[in-house]
Amino acid sequence: MPSLNRALRRVAPFALVAAIIGVLVVPGPQSSAAAPTDGLECETSPSNSFSLTASGGYISTPDGNSIYMWSYGDTGGSFQFPGPTLCVESGANVTVVLHNALSEPTSIMFPGQNKVLAGGKPAQPENDANGNLSSLTTTAAANNGSVTYTFVAGAPGTYLYQSGTDVQKQQQMGLFGALVVRTKGHPDQENGRADSTFDPAHEYLYMLSEVDPDAHLAVERKRTYNWNNYTPRYFMINGRSMPDTIAPNHAEWLPNQPYGALIHIRPYDEQTNPRPALIRYLNAGTTNYPFHPHGSDEQLIARDGHPAQAPDGKDLSYSNFLIDPAPGQTVDTLMTWKDAEHWNSATNPVPVPLPQLQDQIVGPGTETWFSESPYLGESDAQLPPGVVQNNQCGEYYHVAHSHALQQATNFGASFGGMMTLIRIDPPAGCPGQ
Amino acid sequence: MSDRATPRGLSRRAILAGVAGAAGWAILPAGSSVGASARPRGLAVPAEVPNPSTEIHLAGTDGWVSMPGDAPAIPPFWPDPLARENSNLYVFGFRDVTGMSPDEVTAQRGKAQISAPMLSFDQETDVKITLTNLGLSMRPDLTDGHTVHWHGFQNAIPLFDGVPELSISVPIGRDFTYFYRPHDPGTYMYHCHFEDVEHVQMGMTGMLFVRPVQNDGTHGVPAGTYAYNCGDGSTRYDREFAFMMTEIWAESHYRDAHIQVNDWTDFEPSFFALNGRVYPDTVKPNAPDFDPVKAGADARYDPRLQYQPISSLITCNSGERVLLRLANLGYRNHAVTVDGIDLTVVGKDAGLLRGRDGTPNYQVTNTVEIGPGESRDVIFEAPAVDRPTTFLLYDRDYVSLTNSGGRGYGGQMTEIRVYPTGTLAPQAGANT
Repeated sequence: MPSLNRALRRVAPFALVAAIIGVLVVPGPQSSAAAPTDGLECETSPSNSFSLTASGGYISTPDGNSIYMWSYGDTGGSFQFPGPTLCVESGANVTVVLHNALSEPTSIMFPGQNKVLAGGKPAQPENDANGNLSSLTTTAAANNGSVTYTFVAGAPGTYLYQSGTDVQKQQQMGLFGALVVRTKGHPDQENGRADSTFDPAHEYLYMLSEVDPDAHLAVERKRTYNWNNYTPRYFMINGRSMPDTIAPNHAEWLPNQPYGALIHIRPYDEQTNPRPALIRYLNAGTTNYPFHPHGSDEQLIARDGHPAQAPDGKDLSYSNFLIDPAPGQTVDTLMTWKDAEHWNSATNPVPVPLPQLQDQIVGPGTETWFSESPYLGESDAQLPPGVVQNNQCGEYYHVAHSHALQQATNFGASFGGMMTLIRIDPPAGCPGQ
Repeated sequence: MSDRATPRGLSRRAILAGVAGAAGWAILPAGSSVGASARPRGLAVPAEVPNPSTEIHLAGTDGWVSMPGDAPAIPPFWPDPLARENSNLYVFGFRDVTGMSPDEVTAQRGKAQISAPMLSFDQETDVKITLTNLGLSMRPDLTDGHTVHWHGFQNAIPLFDGVPELSISVPIGRDFTYFYRPHDPGTYMYHCHFEDVEHVQMGMTGMLFVRPVQNDGTHGVPAGTYAYNCGDGSTRYDREFAFMMTEIWAESHYRDAHIQVNDWTDFEPSFFALNGRVYPDTVKPNAPDFDPVKAGADARYDPRLQYQPISSLITCNSGERVLLRLANLGYRNHAVTVDGIDLTVVGKDAGLLRGRDGTPNYQVTNTVEIGPGESRDVIFEAPAVDRPTTFLLYDRDYVSLTNSGGRGYGGQMTEIRVYPTGTLAPQAGANT
């Protein structure tokens, strides 16, 4: 059945990549190294000190909706969702100053980090005047209060940071981000194990979340909301829904959603491209997100900052075509795609006939990512009139998406939501890129 | 010896080709996703010797199936007033039309089955699956395409992956042939990926598994039936039973039949199925030859289940090893439980549960958690009994044990019937 509200705004992001670089404004002591157009973008600081401000702002969804969010942004910078990806080295003394621009108290929890201090004292749950729990951790007061958290970065891995105050509301509103703890001396390893080596040029973040627009409208209009009615309609990776997920980092038409989720790799090659990509999954939602990468399995090597290994150090990682992080959980995987059959139009053609254009459905919308050729690096320019070709040089695209398929929609419209693409370029790359 | 080490042995085709004939061999790269060390299935294949091959012909269309009539009604959605005799629920689905004439294929329009035909192939076989789109008998206004997505196929190329926006899909009245050369044994699933949230929910889902090359007895273990190239016999089984787990949101099926639209984020399933049936239908026999057409003419068979041909009844003799192939194409997590028998999980997502260094990672449990799009391979040894004894296999998520909100004796439940040694003849095929 045709979708009700098929994405109104589709993007052809790849041609725009070059125009986007350079819009990044980086405030404060922290900095984002040369912003990659895709992949994980780290915010780092020589002193491992970060200053975040919790505030409100708006994001857009591919069907044309605008959603009021709360999120952490760099102090003095602009609103962004999700919060900056903070990267530190294991063992570093980390400082995070939280400024609160919201009209209610808020806070940051660092699950997975031990002995977190707030104002130099152990961060603790707070109670109101009646002795009732009012926050899971030490808060910054409403209306420009602040609090300083310090901790020693723990084991290498992927962690959430998130509000510990009125969590059902504040986390749904968007108060979360990623903390990446890097391996001391081995920036190309997910953890201390040599078999966690990855290609640092192909490191990706999947911050998975969901939005109930009714709840956000109630908060925006300062109305009460009955959380028993909570029904998420939008499902996101890094704060964007498909097809916005495949737009570059810092796409100018998504000013408050700086992080893309396109995976962009080349085929595995023992000599020229032996290292896998690393994908860091974080579940910032309320339910499992069963994430299905097409095209190749992923090796689960760590969960919640702990390597998949036996007490004696033997490897207990495993292969998956479905990664199913639970709420609050993080999962790290290694992935490659291999040209298993080396199909070649001249020397090794696929052994089945290809239908002519009249005997296939292209799209089925107004655009396609298929080169109309089975062969990596080849393309057939023929397309039905009116169909936009997003393929550039015969590269392959696979989809990766939540297999709770209602989550792979934008408010019910398919080919949206918690979904992104895996782009596989020819071994020599795309000409001109 | 592990799955990873197996390719040190010679493949059947290598032997056929003669070991000395090294010239002209094509080296297939390792099939793993994590570099050469992970699963060195780099079989040296003599390019001039064709693989064994097999061809399947599927048709995609719509149809009508039956949930138990004593389940509470969900007016006006279920039972569907448009349903034809012996049925009450509108579905989309696949049909196996292999070997049929064009006229016979066309005649299958409106005769979809759930779960889809169960497919199994030997590793290193050239597989061609032709899909014909027969259109929707109830919805002449819809021109939906169909595709086959082999869910979990490693190192797929887009043309054969079945995602319409990144590939092509098959229009009504046309067909397309998909090609696969499976290198990785295990339990997979397949489904249509056209408007996937709808076509999967409507029933275009089925089991698919790949049998390991070590079954032929040339890889260090005796010839037999194994789940994986385990190299040590730890995945050997005597009988196998596969379970496609799905959830059926009756309201959405009604709306599809009645030309209305769904907001899929309202998803709220009413029935929870194993192989397209809910308990107690799950324990009823297979359609003869799993074939709905033949079943319709067979007096032994329940006409209510003509288009739900696959039984989920597990039968075995004491002491036998039984392989359960579980796959979930619902949209929720489930927890498959067996009371009274230990379960050993040996595989996940068509991968043997061993670390990259070969460390065993099998898990012994009585509850197997399985998320949407996941598969599990589970082996149990049938306990010793001196008379026929029944054990229950069910979803510990109790909501999934009701039929449209009725009593908790429905849904994703089936029976394991264990017989004294020697009672049952060897198994003829999966789920028999």
